[in-house]
Amino acid sequence: MSAGRDMLCDTARAVFAEAATAGVAPVEEAGFALLLVPEEHGGFGGDWGDADAVLRIAGAMVPDLPVADLIARQAALLPAAVVSLMAGAMGQALALSIDHVNSRQQFGRPLAKFQAVQQSLSVMACEVRAVEAAAAALAVRLDAVNIDPSAAGFEIACAKLRANRAAGIVTSIAHQVHGAIGFTEEYALHRVTIALMRWRGEHGNDAHWAEILGRKVARAGGRGLWETLTSRG
Amino acid sequence: MQGLALYPFDPPGDIAALRTDLRAWLAVNQPQDDIVAKANCWASFDPDFSRALGAAGYIGMTLPARYGGGDRHPLQRYVVIEELLAAGAPVGAHWIADRQTGPLILRYGSEEQRRRYLPGIAKGELYACIGLSEPGAGSDLAAVRTTARETAEGWRINGQKIWTTGAHLSHIMLALVRTEEGSERSAGLSQLLIDLDTPGIIIRPIVDMAGHHDFNEVFFDDVLVPPGALVGERGQGWRQVTAELGLERSGPERYLSSHALLAAVIDSAGPDPDTAVAMLIGELTAEMWTLRQLSMSTAAKLAAGEDPMIEASVVKELGNAFEQDMPRRVQAIVDCGWDDDTDLAKLLRALLIASPSFSLRGGTREVIRGIIARGLGLR
Ligand SMILES: Cc1cc2nc3c(=O)[nH]c(=O)nc-3n(C[C@H](O)[C@H](O)[C@H](O)COP(=O)(O)OP(=O)(O)OC[C@H]3O[C@@H](n4cnc5c(N)ncnc54)[C@H](O)[C@@H]3O)c2cc1C
Repeated sequence: MSAGRDMLCDTARAVFAEAATAGVAPVEEAGFALLLVPEEHGGFGGDWGDADAVLRIAGAMVPDLPVADLIARQAALLPAAVVSLMAGAMGQALALSIDHVNSRQQFGRPLAKFQAVQQSLSVMACEVRAVEAAAAALAVRLDAVNIDPSAAGFEIACAKLRANRAAGIVTSIAHQVHGAIGFTEEYALHRVTIALMRWRGEHGNDAHWAEILGRKVARAGGRGLWETLTSRG
Repeated sequence: MQGLALYPFDPPGDIAALRTDLRAWLAVNQPQDDIVAKANCWASFDPDFSRALGAAGYIGMTLPARYGGGDRHPLQRYVVIEELLAAGAPVGAHWIADRQTGPLILRYGSEEQRRRYLPGIAKGELYACIGLSEPGAGSDLAAVRTTARETAEGWRINGQKIWTTGAHLSHIMLALVRTEEGSERSAGLSQLLIDLDTPGIIIRPIVDMAGHHDFNEVFFDDVLVPPGALVGERGQGWRQVTAELGLERSGPERYLSSHALLAAVIDSAGPDPDTAVAMLIGELTAEMWTLRQLSMSTAAKLAAGEDPMIEASVVKELGNAFEQDMPRRVQAIVDCGWDDDTDLAKLLRALLIASPSFSLRGGTREVIRGIIARGLGLR
């Protein structure tokens, strides 16, 4: 990660910490709406890699605030923005789950020592890693085409569909390993899991993207799929 | 584990040309008569094809030129193998030698071993098999009991390997054996490179549930191999095998075994499929695109000299689930009779039958998940 992006992420973490209790105002004041606006127009001149990094932090820390709309600024980029939010929220669900199973004891040992729990969490970790990869690869594509969503339709469809699919697995495993405490209003897990449930249906649910993508691929033919994958990087 | 970014996949040289040349070469040289050989194609043995591929410079690509290799970058090799797999080329004969035995000989082998074996590997003429599993040592590999005793003439081997893919067609076996008497578990193990025509070795077929003879039992009855058969350091077999398994688990073959089926589904669906089929194609495409990104990133990390043990396990876990799931999902949605005489039906049947092995070979699903859990700090 570039030094500039590191600083951006530090700022985002500080601002979102404040926003967690104060609402969206601190995010607006910090100028995140200008993240993707070119420098010559008075903006920050960030790329989608920057947006992805900030949105992942937002997905983990302030999943209930409208940060995606603020940063993406165009409707066609919202599915991509939501993929980043989902990657962040899933990373947070995993982190909470790992902490929990390491500290909660039953049968005289931490839950983490039970093989059934280990296997569940590794399934979850694979899903999280897949969505992180999807968000990152989508960012690479968007930045290669000057953040023109119409030139990244294939990647947007793939990434949102993959993130949608992971959402069901990640939320269910996270809640299962938490037990009842994860089902309380007091404990923070629901902030990310309810957001994931919402995001799966927003800006294209599974069926929406699966059909769009499937028709696109069908038109290219069996060999065309591989050619598409390899020519787009 | 927390990998926010992908490792950039940036092979040197003209990669578009590398792909175009290889695709043109395959158009001429890939046998097209056997559609089923295109499924699970890294288990399809075709020595003629391997020899031709070697002569064209597509095997042993990363080995040094002085051993007959191509002196190419590991990511250039990656591009070549993903193209071969996506085309369903029958790469099984040389697969293990090219993927793991060659690199392992280069890394740990003696100069004599390198000179003796690497040129044949790079030509696509010398094939290798993996002697790890034994009747009592499956997932629990440290339970290996085959012994090799040091004598004045060399190593005397006694014991048995099992599930050895391609032993009956291979020239050499890289075997994990117990060299230190009285040693236990992962201590006291060493790797030996064994010429399979050595007297005392008996190879018996085990026919798999598809009716194929791919794997074998291999018996060692007082087999004498020269002192120079030891690979790397005596007693360090466990460490070396772990490195070997890293190579074995990280490649694109972990998600591309079923690619021929996906291509056939798309072709048979035509340009305007019904909604259920379109959705199936979309879902499989999204998964495949994601897996490819993960796989390329893992390969790039490996090529940069880092150890992507956890990432490789993630690719294997997700890739195996994907390629195992694919034929089942295709069957659930596409109307296709078990005995139909179409390419689609033949591929579907072959992959449904082959697919249970995908989460067994190269480390079971449970073992792989255990490795990931360790990476998460749970064990
Ligand atoms: C097609 C194919 C090709 C192969 N080729 C080769 C080869 O070339 N060379 C070679 O050496 N081997 C080869 N193998 C063997 C393969 O490596 C083993 O099958 C594998 O390591 C599992 O060992 P096993 O079959 O003895 O199963 P077992 O170890 O008996 O396992 C059976 C089941 O129990 C589970 N299990 C075992 N231990 C645990 C545990 N501690 N916790 C939870 N679950 C557990 C396993 O995950 C699995 O689901 C091949 C296998 C196949 C199917």
